[in-house]
Amino acid sequence: MMALLNNSAMEFQALTSADWNGGAPMLCVTAGIILALLAEVLPGFKPARHVAFLASLCAAVLFEMRILGAPQGTIFQGTFSADRASALWGILFCFSGLLAWLYSRRYYKEEKPFLAEHDILMLCSVLGMMLMAGAEDLLTFFVGLELLSVPLYSLACFRRVRMESVEAGLRYFLLGAFAAGLFLFGTALMYVATGTISLAGLRETGLDSSLSLLGVALMASALFFKVSVFPFQFWVPDVYQGSPTPVTVFMATGTKAAAFAFLMKVVFLLPASAAGILSIMAIATMAIGNLGALIQEDLKRMLGYSSVAHAGTLLLVVTSSLIGDPQAGAPLQAALYYMAAYVFTAAGAFGMIAMLEGSGEHFTKLESLRGLGTRRPLLAGALSIFMLSLGGFPATGGFFGKYFVFTSTLRADMTVVSVLGVLLSVVALGYYLRVIMTMWMRPPVEGQAAPSAYRPAANFATGLCVFFVLALGFAPGWFLERFF
Amino acid sequence: MANLLFYLMGLGAVIGSLLVVTSKNPITSVLSLLGTFFCLATIYLLAGFQFLAAAQILVYGGAIMVLFLFVVMLLNLGHPEEGSGLEFMNKRRMPFAFAASAMLIVLTFAGVLGQGSAPGAVELAHMATIGDLAGLMFGSFLLPFEAASILLMGAAVAVIVLAKRERTQAVER
Repeated sequence: MMALLNNSAMEFQALTSADWNGGAPMLCVTAGIILALLAEVLPGFKPARHVAFLASLCAAVLFEMRILGAPQGTIFQGTFSADRASALWGILFCFSGLLAWLYSRRYYKEEKPFLAEHDILMLCSVLGMMLMAGAEDLLTFFVGLELLSVPLYSLACFRRVRMESVEAGLRYFLLGAFAAGLFLFGTALMYVATGTISLAGLRETGLDSSLSLLGVALMASALFFKVSVFPFQFWVPDVYQGSPTPVTVFMATGTKAAAFAFLMKVVFLLPASAAGILSIMAIATMAIGNLGALIQEDLKRMLGYSSVAHAGTLLLVVTSSLIGDPQAGAPLQAALYYMAAYVFTAAGAFGMIAMLEGSGEHFTKLESLRGLGTRRPLLAGALSIFMLSLGGFPATGGFFGKYFVFTSTLRADMTVVSVLGVLLSVVALGYYLRVIMTMWMRPPVEGQAAPSAYRPAANFATGLCVFFVLALGFAPGWFLERFF
Repeated sequence: MANLLFYLMGLGAVIGSLLVVTSKNPITSVLSLLGTFFCLATIYLLAGFQFLAAAQILVYGGAIMVLFLFVVMLLNLGHPEEGSGLEFMNKRRMPFAFAASAMLIVLTFAGVLGQGSAPGAVELAHMATIGDLAGLMFGSFLLPFEAASILLMGAAVAVIVLAKRERTQAVER
């Protein structure tokens, strides 16, 4: 409290222009939330909700681009940082929200009356993600975490008429609440030990007492829950499978990116001796994810396991950042590139399921994809590209993501771990290629109608994902130069 | 005297929260939670946080607990049927839960005792007044404070999605 009180002894400061510039993306999203709410209430303004949603996200992306060009540094009295990394994460979150929203058009049937709430909750989550990625103290991060999670609990059980959806929501809520409790307890212990909760303060005082280490361990556990790495990954397949697919799109891409964004920021809190445990966790996560996915027959569940495996790969970057990559900044760049590729790939892959599901629930089964290549060649082609990118094939974004990750781990002298990681990525091809094989090489099931392809919004989203996956795969230099 | 009160209230809070999770009757749970809140409020007051103590009593002890009690009574949860409820307290998992909690408690105590002087500890001479609180909320922590207001609004919308019934529909499995 002492440190906090000293801060408050300063007289009130008006917001500076840096505050406004750095906070502009968040203000845009907030304005979008309020306008969307108003549009729903005022008579005759209902269609304006879509405009508010799209405009706020587009404006947020533009303002993030501006920050990318002119980073504002630490703003809001040291509680938020508007630097290049957080701006880039912010752009990814906006795209994640946008893609999830596009895939949710025409997806819901019974829940039509609540579509406005659906959109508003998504915007709230995007705002929470931005707060998490830019947070410079643990309090800001926690508010961001809750702002992300609370709407998602509700979105996960958005299809209330389906038992699986309600169960997924409840499961996600209970585990999320537990993780939030762990995080707060950890923060409290760290505060008792050091007297500060700002990252800058923690960097200064260092965390060497046993009490603060316990706090860090609790906080890390809560973050590991959110990014779903071993041994905190049990909820993922169930929740991803049970939630409405557009919400899964959002959870798999945005939530994961936001938690990793903060994890990359607070990696300095972990003691150097934690590197061994982290690499074991990363390898175990990849093993569980990939081996679990091999035996799945349900496409959505399989992608859930695959997303666990991808979290494991990203944890390798966190480890290499902890050990110390001789090329400073390279781990963050690798994480950003990997996540950028993953956002578009996973959003596309889950989104395709959402699209197929529109023609009947059974389309999430692997068997139902038989013969899709001859009946809907474009859909099958897009899904093939996503699968190849998830597997890390050259000429896709996923390849360069993996490439940057493993070069970073090699530079950090983690040879054994890198070899194991690459081997596990090869195992992953087993199930990704199986999907492609089923689509193109097996005849359609007799008497099963082909899925309908007419969904303009979803088609547009798929096109966008394919474009970015290929662009990130063909022109990594162009992106690295301008954005990363 | 203050120390004695602190230990008494600490004990009360621990017993109260244990009762919340172990009692089979929801009314007992709610009332124990109320007791826990009261003990916590006293501890806050002892630590010198008058505003926090008052808010704890008014908001949690008053408004929220009444709401809980109201819901419990309205839904007639007072008499749980035999065999329902508390399935998670099954015998096989209990030892693990106890071991994990015991480890956490021991580690925390060891950490606190080994700390010696805690930089985060409060000196009573520097009590947090409402002015200080306002300084923090609208100064250093303006961003999280404003974000919390969006969070509350988002939570309200989320609750509406969960609770509002457009038309009666049977849940199909």
